[in-house]
Amino acid sequence: MPRYLIRRLGQALLVVAGVIVLTFAVMRLVPGDPAVAYAGPKATAAELAEARRRFGLDEPLPVQLWNYVRDLLGGDWGTSLHTRQPVRDDLLQAFPASLELVGAALIIALAAGIPLGIAAARYKGRLPDLSVRLSSMLAVSVPVFWLALALQTVFASGLGWFPVAGEYDASLDRTSPLHLYTNITAVDALITGNWPILTSTLSHLVLPALVIAAYPAGVVAQMTRAALIEESSRDHARLERALGFGETAVLTRFALRPALNPVLSLIALVFAYSIVNGFLVEAVFNWPGLGRYAADSIRSLDTPAIAGVTLLVAVLYVAANLAVDLLQGVVDPRVRAR
Amino acid sequence: MRWHKRLLAAGAVTAVTLTAAACAGGKVRGAEDSPQPGSTTAPAGGAADSTFVYVPNLDVVTDWDPASSYSNEIIAMQNIYESLTRYNPQTKKTEPRLASSWTSSPDGKKWTFTLREGAKFHTGKPVDAAAAKAAIERTMKEGQGAAYIWGAVDKIEAKDATTLEFTLKYPAPLDLISSAGYASYIYDTTAASGDLKKWFGEGHDAGSGPYTIESWQKGKETELTLTAFDGYWGGWNGPHYKKVAFRVTPELTTAWQLLQRGEVTFVQRLNAQLFAQAGGTDTVQTSQTPSFQNLLVLLNTADGPLKDVKLRQAVQKAIDYDGLVAALKGSGVAAGGLVPEGLLGAAPGMTPKQDLAGAEALLKEAGYGPGGKRLELTLTYAQGDADQELLVTLLSSALDKLGVTLSAKPLQWTTQWDQGKAKDPSKRQDIFVMYWFPDYADAYSWFVNVFHGEKDVQFNLSYLKDEAVDKQIDELPALTATDQAGAEKAYADLQNKIINEKAAVAVPYVQNYQRAFAKTVQGYVDNPAYPNVVFVYDLKPGA
Repeated sequence: MPRYLIRRLGQALLVVAGVIVLTFAVMRLVPGDPAVAYAGPKATAAELAEARRRFGLDEPLPVQLWNYVRDLLGGDWGTSLHTRQPVRDDLLQAFPASLELVGAALIIALAAGIPLGIAAARYKGRLPDLSVRLSSMLAVSVPVFWLALALQTVFASGLGWFPVAGEYDASLDRTSPLHLYTNITAVDALITGNWPILTSTLSHLVLPALVIAAYPAGVVAQMTRAALIEESSRDHARLERALGFGETAVLTRFALRPALNPVLSLIALVFAYSIVNGFLVEAVFNWPGLGRYAADSIRSLDTPAIAGVTLLVAVLYVAANLAVDLLQGVVDPRVRAR
Repeated sequence: MRWHKRLLAAGAVTAVTLTAAACAGGKVRGAEDSPQPGSTTAPAGGAADSTFVYVPNLDVVTDWDPASSYSNEIIAMQNIYESLTRYNPQTKKTEPRLASSWTSSPDGKKWTFTLREGAKFHTGKPVDAAAAKAAIERTMKEGQGAAYIWGAVDKIEAKDATTLEFTLKYPAPLDLISSAGYASYIYDTTAASGDLKKWFGEGHDAGSGPYTIESWQKGKETELTLTAFDGYWGGWNGPHYKKVAFRVTPELTTAWQLLQRGEVTFVQRLNAQLFAQAGGTDTVQTSQTPSFQNLLVLLNTADGPLKDVKLRQAVQKAIDYDGLVAALKGSGVAAGGLVPEGLLGAAPGMTPKQDLAGAEALLKEAGYGPGGKRLELTLTYAQGDADQELLVTLLSSALDKLGVTLSAKPLQWTTQWDQGKAKDPSKRQDIFVMYWFPDYADAYSWFVNVFHGEKDVQFNLSYLKDEAVDKQIDELPALTATDQAGAEKAYADLQNKIINEKAAVAVPYVQNYQRAFAKTVQGYVDNPAYPNVVFVYDLKPGA
């Protein structure tokens, strides 16, 4: 196991190093001078030179790359040209909000996907199975931007059941200020017992979380169904049936636990995917997370911020992949030999 | 330990680590960034119905320092800070703001402002001549953003508490300059005990305007909230909005839904389709005003085929001005010359029209045109700008019929600009498309920046070099300061020279501001001298 761990860790580090070089290259190769983006379109030559010096753009490329890596390792992710704050601080501010949204989405996805998968497996080939398969296929393939706008128009603007956009009612900041511990609004409101902010956040969370949950819910339902059907055809299931257990009991009491292994390992990957998938959803629902930060950065050609978001997302992907591989290594020793 | 228990343990550890990593140590949201208002800045009420909610589509604030601020925050800053004067686009004149009156010497080199009595900064200190002098001098010394607008100032003296005297190096319209949207703010330079720039950067303000910062939360949806300043010299009698909230909304459809639901008051920008829908909605009113930003089609007067003035005139005549404005569906209005309506120097009789027969005749005279030699022209414009793309499409199809091939390249601004500034003239383009807008309400900005001869090219991207034109441009500030009728004539004359005689530029349209806001808002008038600013104090919240 330690050798497997070291090998996988080494591979992950290599990928991260590759991503660092790539983000650096993209930052330097895209047309557009970051110094102009910082100093403004009407900047004088002297102001531009000062901006170039400030960001080290007057150094040769290899030196710039070396400085970039050194600063990254030292925790300096550069300064946003747009917010003029350290990119790392911006990301630390935006990431918890995205985490909150994606976390809620995954809870919804599991809560909906697993029972639906069980129902489909239980009634394989019959109407419930067909409808679950159809709806999960729809959930996986519907464009997230369209779904976001549709839910917003119908349930927020039309029926008025939920707020149109935002994280919570901002006027609550005055009437019941929130103490921050994790920077995740719902979690902080829960642990400090701030019910007005908690209920406001939850009602704002429903629609965007539902949109992001669509894809993982579909995947989880399909995966659960397939794994259950496979488990329920094994010898132990036949034995259980012979012992007189009903079909539902066979599925939920015996087959479900082993069947959930692949589903759970899938969740780590879906998590990283959902962070990116959530970018558009955040823009539609004004959710102050990474997506909105990325959109603002792209709109204002803020290359250090774009590179920061890219790097963070890449690291999340690599970390999720690594976690899945290591978990599988723990569960199934054969994986380690590969 | 069985594997799923390990998974659970790992999950718990991850959660704890994430929590610890993101831990903000029990701070109260907003407390870190927002200022602690002094005793003079107690909120003056907070009824929900008197909050004006403004919907910008990008970050509200990037620079809180009134000396260097030069971006989106102008919308908030103009409600927090005041300048000596304010520009009125209807009268094309400046009006009192912190200065109640002003005079200038006949040669336009000495300006005396009398300050309003009773005005106070949010810090509690009085707005007197010494404070105004200190603020302008600090802005000039910092030399960032739009600070160059004070370039004419040689000396500032505070003669007494209310008399502020400027001595200029050369004549300039100082009343206009001191009404600028940027860098003209009067602020309390003694507000911080330590580094003032850092103090501003933390989200404090030292203005004298009707509103002061209540909370600023970078990255949050409601990024900024302003609250009424009790000690405002204008007083709070009668109905006023007591709070202003800025709710960042990147998606236009979301902004529109929020407005329809009555959750927000004012949407800065909608697309043509939503704007039309807004016009037919009972609870919403709309306004459309030409801005001070116009599109310039700069023609290369120095090199390449367009060196021939006949060909430049042919290109001017090939542009389908009316078709373009129609296709813009309200986001642009026909331009009458280089200076937009609402500024001193606007020449309303100069609206251009497409003249394909005229263009063909000119091309023929120059040896090109249908049946003759094919003319090849290069053009650069802003990548991703749909309005410019429309112009390029219409122009290239019109030119194609006239036997002219237009090879148009969409580029990022910096690439486009670098190519335009290329030392080697053969690398430059024949046609350069860009927007221009002035930093204060003065048409001089177009002439001095875009059409004055330069040693090294900056914005003179038609490469016009004409001593007579330069001389006339140089005289504009003094004329504006001393003889406005003379200035009007000089502007008209210059536009005639640059557009008609030299054919250095075509001006297809002026951009329009299209606003949508709640029906309850009373008294809104767009002031294009302050891009996207709503002077909230001037509005009445209706029922």
